[in-house]
Formats: sequence, structure tokens, C-alpha cells
Amino acid sequence: MSTVGIIVNPNAGKDIRRLVTPATHTSDVTKVGIVRRAIVAAAESGAERILIAPDTHRLGRRAADGLDAPVEIVDEPVTGSRFDTIGAARRFWKEQVGAVIALGGDGTSRDVALGWPDAPLIAISTGTNNVYPVAVDGTSAGAAAGLVASGIVSVADVARRSKKIVVRVDDRDSSVDDVALVDLAFIDADFIGARAVRDPSTITAVVAAVATPASTGLSSIAGRIHPVDRWESGGVFVRLGAGGRRVRVPLAPGSFTTIDVAEVRPLAEGESITLSGRTILAFDGERDLAVSPDGTVTVRVESSGPLVIDVERTLVRAASALAFDHSEKDDHGH
Amino acid sequence: MSITPAVQFDLHRRMVRIRLFEEAAGRLAEAAKLPGFLHLYVGEEAVASGICGALNDDDHITSTHRGHGHLVAKGGDFNRMMAELMGKSTGYCKGKGGSMHISDLSLGMLGANGIVGAGSPIAVGAAFANKYRGRGQVAVAFFGDGATNIGAFHEAANMACALHLPIVFACENNEYGEFTPRDKTMAITDIVDRAAGYGMPGVIVDGMDVIAVHEAALEAVAKARAGGGPSLIEAKTYRFYNHHGVQNLGLKYRSDDEVAKWKERDPIFTLEDRMIENKVATRQRFDDIWAELRNDIETAIKFAEDSPLPTSDQVLVDVYSANGGN
Repeated sequence: MSTVGIIVNPNAGKDIRRLVTPATHTSDVTKVGIVRRAIVAAAESGAERILIAPDTHRLGRRAADGLDAPVEIVDEPVTGSRFDTIGAARRFWKEQVGAVIALGGDGTSRDVALGWPDAPLIAISTGTNNVYPVAVDGTSAGAAAGLVASGIVSVADVARRSKKIVVRVDDRDSSVDDVALVDLAFIDADFIGARAVRDPSTITAVVAAVATPASTGLSSIAGRIHPVDRWESGGVFVRLGAGGRRVRVPLAPGSFTTIDVAEVRPLAEGESITLSGRTILAFDGERDLAVSPDGTVTVRVESSGPLVIDVERTLVRAASALAFDHSEKDDHGH
Repeated sequence: MSITPAVQFDLHRRMVRIRLFEEAAGRLAEAAKLPGFLHLYVGEEAVASGICGALNDDDHITSTHRGHGHLVAKGGDFNRMMAELMGKSTGYCKGKGGSMHISDLSLGMLGANGIVGAGSPIAVGAAFANKYRGRGQVAVAFFGDGATNIGAFHEAANMACALHLPIVFACENNEYGEFTPRDKTMAITDIVDRAAGYGMPGVIVDGMDVIAVHEAALEAVAKARAGGGPSLIEAKTYRFYNHHGVQNLGLKYRSDDEVAKWKERDPIFTLEDRMIENKVATRQRFDDIWAELRNDIETAIKFAEDSPLPTSDQVLVDVYSANGGN
């Protein structure tokens, strides 16, 4: 059965960066609207089953309310943490979902990648400064997801394998394996606190898998010195400090600062880099993990991220295949 | 801009002072030694502490019916607070206000307030005065999630934004308006979604994490002080005790499991653990702080118990203005 899965992160687009930058606030009403449009479009485009991840704000349920569409809210625990997205992605893998739509920021896509590393994914940006997700309307995203899930358009023709940053932290009592999709930053701080990286002077190093001059956020540091686009293999490591180039970068939306870059090192596919000592790791722009003075962090960039579905290419393919032509079934309720 | 150890200890001290004051007040209420209602702030300490820690003494705050924590965080005097709770003449309001009217103008604390939502317009008035005087003072309005359904809040937020006033709206979203869960009284989950409707930025922070709250407060207060206008901070938090009093009064509106989960994230203990892990503090240092502040509380209780009740000739004093309100 052709199945589309939808995940919506209720927490995206509301953090403290809105106090000091003109970053977009994404309200629940906006998110519900995107999901509602995606549901309608997925059902219109061949999805026979639409699974929606439960969330603390019941956004998916609100989006589906009153719609005549084959929607199911999956029965998964809701914790209000990233584990909701990770768990939903894993569930979608088990349910053989053909295309996943995830609303959120880079961090939401990161959690999808943890739960289902090979997810065929359309990531819709509802976060702060998103590099991985794209700004696309729910109508187009839902249509593309429906077309791919139903096989009207082959996923192999319209999806590409993205990259991810594989992170291993060996600390005093434990080891942690995690991933980032865009950048991993090393922050000189004592606390995770409000998560967003507020103070540029606390950034000590960044590993980026995607670093383009068009990026906003931590990856823009590398992006403005040694660009690496999302499809080429490998990544880049930058160490901050005096003695090298000084660049102006948009560390947050509409907010530029000067960064001193002491070292820039390209990273080949799979090449490891290890840093030791006390730090706070920021995954895809958010402080998330404290490392003790005894800890070591080993990082590599791999081409093993989610399969990113190109929405526009999917719709063009479908149009070429006359998939949008009115058929008899359209006269019976579609 | 990083949070220095001195600031960490300051935030910790504010939180422990609130916790100890409230637990002592709770015990006294259970022993029937306090007249009137008592709404304890235990569990929400990170919000008042993180925000008041970003303010100067001459900045203003307005508070709620759950107001002890705000005054303590602003530097309130234990003796005068405890005396006020006991209705004694040495209290902040000479024993005639009680828990829900406690204030200290010398600290810019413009009053707790028994009326839900009533504090925000007062803060807007203070912010207007502060802008007019031009001394760079900021006002903060503390209020709960339920208060944002009250007309006074909407009027206050609208006027603050229309006049571009130096104010921070600090919402303590503890998910319940008295005994009613938030989702029974509003169709949105995040109060912050309302901010854009007035034309101000709004952000969500973890209200159980004093560092997160403080980071947000530093930004919002600096913005207001610099003429950048109002902001709304929504701190997701939880009260460990009942709406009022200490016991549950048999009203089972929150599950034990829910309360226990929030208590696992106790804002004081999580900060202590992190500071010890960072080698900024030792357990002994924290034990000493708790012991010192417990001593202050015992002193305050004795001060209040030994203080006289107001005399009957004081009933109308400070109630009506003798000179026409000026």
C-alpha cells in the first residue's frame, strides 16, 4: 500500500534567536496549514495511507481534522523531546513508508536520519536558519510524496543520497554515537542552556558537510572560505582563532559578524578528525552535548544521509508522464 | 557573554532562597500559622531567578498571585516577607496585604496581584514612565499561561507594542490555570504564538533551566534597554505543589506520574549537578549555601512570630489617600 509519513516538529522556529535577529517565527497555525495542504495533496497524488507522527502539540491531529483522507496518527510515545521524531522515523521504516515529509529545521532532519538513515525525505523548512530543509509549500511537497510513495514517479529518478556527519564521543563513563546533517560545532561553554549558539567568540571549530556561501548559520563560516555543496563528497573543517583569514558571515538570519579563521582543512569522504577536551557540541546549530575534559570527539563526513526527494523534479516527471490528467476516478470523489 | 561562575552562583542563590522561603511558608500554612491563601512558587524558581538576575535594582517587575518567588528573586527581605504572610505590623504591607499584595518599591517590585492578568497593565505603565524619564530602566511583567486569555493582557501587550515600550513579557507557562489544563481553555499550545499578533518577537525557553532562561532574559532586557521595544519570553515550567496550599485537597487534576517527571528536572539540583561537573562548585559549597539560607529563614520566622499584629487604629491607614491621591 502506498504510504506517506508526516512528521512535524512543534518546537521548530521558536527559539531565542528571534530576540536578537529578524528570524522567522513559525506558529502552530502555520505548521498545521502546511501539514493539512500536504495531506490533501498526498491523497490527491496516489497516497493510499498517510501516517502522521503524534506530537506534544497535536499539530498532526489538528491538520487532519475533518479531512476526507486516509490519515492515521501512529501510536508512538510522545515525550516532547527529539526522541519523538527519531521514534516516528523508525516506525515509518517499519511501516514501509514510501516518502517522509518532515517539518522542522536542520535538527529535525537530523533526528529523522537517526531514526531511519535511508529515509526518502522531503524536509520542509519551518526552523530558524535551515540549510538542509527547503522552503516548499505543503501542496507541492505532499504531491511529490504521494507520487513517489505510489510509484507513479520512481524514487531512484528523483532522489539523491545526502551526506551526514558521523560523530562518536568517548567520554569518562560512556560513548555516544550521533549524527549531524549540516554542521557540528565545538563551543567553549559550560552549559547547553538555551541551545542556540549566541556568542561567536565561544565557537572554537566547525565541521561542515554542507557549506555554501548561500548558507546562514555556523556552516556559513566554511561556506564563505571553502565552499562544499550538498552533493559533492566530503566536507570541511575550520578551526577558529587569530592568524588566518577574517570573514564576514551571517551566523544567524539577518545578522552578520566577523570571524577569525585560523585553519581550513578539506575532509575527504570518510576521513576522520579527532578533537579532545572539554567542549559543548552543537549539532546543526544547537548546543546539545557536553564533553568532559577527558572526552574525545571523532568526526567524519559520509555520503550516507537520507535520500532527498527533489520536489520540483518529481512534479515535472509526473507531468511528463501525464500523471495529472483527469481520469474517471476523479469523477468519483477525487 | 558567557555565564560566569559568579553569575551561576548568583542565580543558584536566588533559586535556593525562593525554595526555602516557599517550603517554610508551606509548613507554616499546614500548621495553620498563616492567614489567607498561599500559592507556592516551588518548581518555577528558574524563571524568576533567570529573569531578575538580568535586571538592575531600579528596573521594575509586576507579579501574580504566585508572587513570593518574584520578590525573593528581586532581592526581597525574608523578615518583612514572612511577617507580611503572618499579618504582622513589621511586614511589607504592615500586615494588611498578605501573600497576594506583597511589594517592595525600593526594589522595583510593584506588587503581587490577586487578580489574574492584572499585573501586565501595571508593568506597561511603569515601562511608559521609564521611557518618559529616559534613564534606561526596563519593566518586566510576570504572568501565567491563563492570564494570556484575559483582556487586560491583550490590552497591555497591544499598548506596549504600539508605544514601543521598554518591557519584557515573561510568561510562566505551567500548563494549568488553577486546576484546568491549558488545552481546555485555549486552542493554541505555545503562548508565544500570540506575540506576533501584537508585533513583538516571542521565544520559548526551558523554564526548568535557569541558564536558558537567563540567556533569553539577557537578550530581551538588553533589547528593551536599548530602545528595541517589547519581547515575550515563554518559559515552559511547572509548579511542584498544588494551585494553592501544599496538599492536594483531594483534587486530582494532575497525575502523580506527570508531577514526578517534572520533579526529575528540578531546576536547582540540575544546576548544582552541572556546576559540580564543571568543577565550578563542590557539594560542600552548596551544603554551606543551603545551611546559611536555612538559617536566614529560621531568623525570619522568629522575627515574624515575635512581631506584633497591627493595632485596630491602623485599619484605615495607607488605605485612602489623605491629600487627594497625589
